[in-house]
Amino acid sequence: MNLLIDLQCCTGCGACVEHCPGHVLSQDEEGRPYERYPDDCWYCGVCETECPAQCISLLFPYLIR
Amino acid sequence: MNRWETVQADFVIVGGGAAGTMAAIRAKELNPDMEVVIVEKAEISRSGAAGRGMDALNNVVVPGHGTVEEYVEAVDIVADGVLQPDITRIIGERSFGILKRLEQWGCRFPRTPEGDYIVNAFHPKGRFLVEMRGDLKKILAREVSSLGIRVYNRHPVLDLVKSGTRIAGAVALDLGTGVLKAFLAPAVLLASGGAARIGLPNTGYLHGTFDCPWCNGEAYKLGFEAGASLTGFEYTCRSAMTRDFNGPGQSTFIRHGAWLVNGLGERFMERYDPQRMERAPAGIRMRAMMEEERAGRGPIAFSFRHLPSKVIEMIEEGIFEAERPTMRAFFRRRGIDLKRTPVEVVMSEVYLCGGHGLSGLVADRWGETSVQGLFAAGDCLANPYGFLAGAMVMGEVVAERVVERAAPGPSGHDARDRIDRLRRALERHGKGRLGVSVRDFEYKFRRLVNEFLAPPKSETKLRRFLHLTEPMLKDQEDLPARDPHEVMKVFEAKAGLFCARMAAEASLFRTESRFGLYHQRVDYPEKNDAQWKTRVILSPGPEGPVVEKERS
Ligand SMILES: Cc1cc2nc3c(=O)[nH]c(=O)nc-3n(C[C@H](O)[C@H](O)[C@H](O)COP(=O)(O)OP(=O)(O)OC[C@H]3O[C@@H](n4cnc5c(N)ncnc54)[C@H](O)[C@@H]3O)c2cc1C
Ligand code: SF4
Ligand code: SF4
Repeated sequence: MNLLIDLQCCTGCGACVEHCPGHVLSQDEEGRPYERYPDDCWYCGVCETECPAQCISLLFPYLIR
Repeated sequence: MNRWETVQADFVIVGGGAAGTMAAIRAKELNPDMEVVIVEKAEISRSGAAGRGMDALNNVVVPGHGTVEEYVEAVDIVADGVLQPDITRIIGERSFGILKRLEQWGCRFPRTPEGDYIVNAFHPKGRFLVEMRGDLKKILAREVSSLGIRVYNRHPVLDLVKSGTRIAGAVALDLGTGVLKAFLAPAVLLASGGAARIGLPNTGYLHGTFDCPWCNGEAYKLGFEAGASLTGFEYTCRSAMTRDFNGPGQSTFIRHGAWLVNGLGERFMERYDPQRMERAPAGIRMRAMMEEERAGRGPIAFSFRHLPSKVIEMIEEGIFEAERPTMRAFFRRRGIDLKRTPVEVVMSEVYLCGGHGLSGLVADRWGETSVQGLFAAGDCLANPYGFLAGAMVMGEVVAERVVERAAPGPSGHDARDRIDRLRRALERHGKGRLGVSVRDFEYKFRRLVNEFLAPPKSETKLRRFLHLTEPMLKDQEDLPARDPHEVMKVFEAKAGLFCARMAAEASLFRTESRFGLYHQRVDYPEKNDAQWKTRVILSPGPEGPVVEKERS
């Protein structure tokens, strides 16, 4: 897990999924974002920047922390 | 993954990064009727090396601060005399025009109290680095969209289409639907960046690279297999990067005057290059760093304590706000405060890049490779230390050439054969008989890169690398990939292995030492200008790569 996504505040808008340059994120049937391919994250922070509700914070991949 | 579609265009651009978006914009400006298509693996407003922003244009000849002659001379020093000067010259001549366009579009270039640009020194000679702020890729994407350029996001390109000896298009996989699409056009620009995932970073994390990890040398492989040549693959780059984070900073730190210090607190560059110190060519800086570590004088760090707080604030603003905002959180976690603490650095993994190094496709001064209609720009082109401005200049140059030529569409092409071949490959990956994940596969060859290809090099080690990775060429065809994302990963890994092997071939061939650490051969420790001040060219041959000197 590289990100902390606060699903309480998430509106399911999909912006984080749309912009992630590594195609790491996906939305489940209820529109909730999740890390589908966590091994491919560059901890670039694009998802965090793009989230209009500011509900993503970067934890960094464990090997980097 | 059975259906396929075709898309007709006049100009197909592979990769909507700095070079690709600029090429599309220029082509459409010059000829609004031209069908320009960008085929992009990610989403262009956030993709590639510059996806999260940049804090400088590294190479601009700003009138009053430098001349084109000085710029060419500075790059010649960094490239140790091994470059194609006409491309470097064009970049020098047109870079200020790029700055002006970006400024007009809303990129911010902070000014001095006198109203001048902030121009700093990073090259061993001259001043060509201009401070920049603003969301570069968002701005470029907005221009692309306002001109009505068609963009296919989430479409990694897996193959090229030819018509006899000419280029005729590219084939991409739609990550959303799994459909293969042939984009047909008489002109194709490869602009998909360098090769980031070659060596393994100190953390062992596959995507924890310095360069953008989703640009993994696909352009090199695609271009070579279509008949184009490669050069500079023995220039196996490594950079001094923040320990574990492996993020940018090196150029920001150096141009603002940070010192490299060893574990004893000594500014050790005094021992290796007392004139140029931290601004020595990258390979010399890295060799110094390696020797310090070998002598037990690690860890190495950038130190800022001697700098005025105003300068430190500018460094922080650059990296935290423009270049890599996540570095702020990382520094906080590690308790790093630039005003008080040095930033420990390690040597990044080996990577190959035409804009941060010398490795790239060989092209003429208009960016055209030896395959008619196939162009290259940006990090996949051999445009030594061209960085962002080089990518954008060459994007424009290629677009102008394509518009001027206005070639008719190819009459016949091999798209169907290419698609059939890809389909068979994808079916085989669907079965995944190797039973080894693509990530284990990648880990294995990248570990071998660290042991046998990373400098210092020797014939024994390089041959060992080629020998140990040979069976992997067969294995890779049976890697499992059961969804489009995994197919993309398999193609990235294949391209990475291809590039690493090309680097070994070129490194074996150059029997001298050059470029500081980057091509340090322990069995040929001397530099030999009489024999080797020339590029090494890799060209496709019937039995593998043909390796030659550009000039004998
Ligand atoms: C961390 C970092 C910091 C840097 N800082 C600076 C700086 O401050 N100043 C400066 O001048 N330069 C800087 N550079 C260098 C600069 O960013 C690059 O030289 C420049 O972005 C190269 O442009 P490009 O178009 O070749 O590649 P990119 O901008 O990386 O674009 C390549 C594009 O191709 C796409 N792609 C990859 N593979 C495929 C495929 N198979 N199919 C389709 N699309 C594909 C990618 O998603 C991406 O959009 C930095 C580089 C890095 C990595
Ligand atoms: S940090 Fe970057 S790579 Fe990782 S999930 Fe967010 S956008 Fe994607
Ligand atoms: S961008 Fe934010 S609000 Fe939108 S889906 Fe992602 S986490 Fe939820």
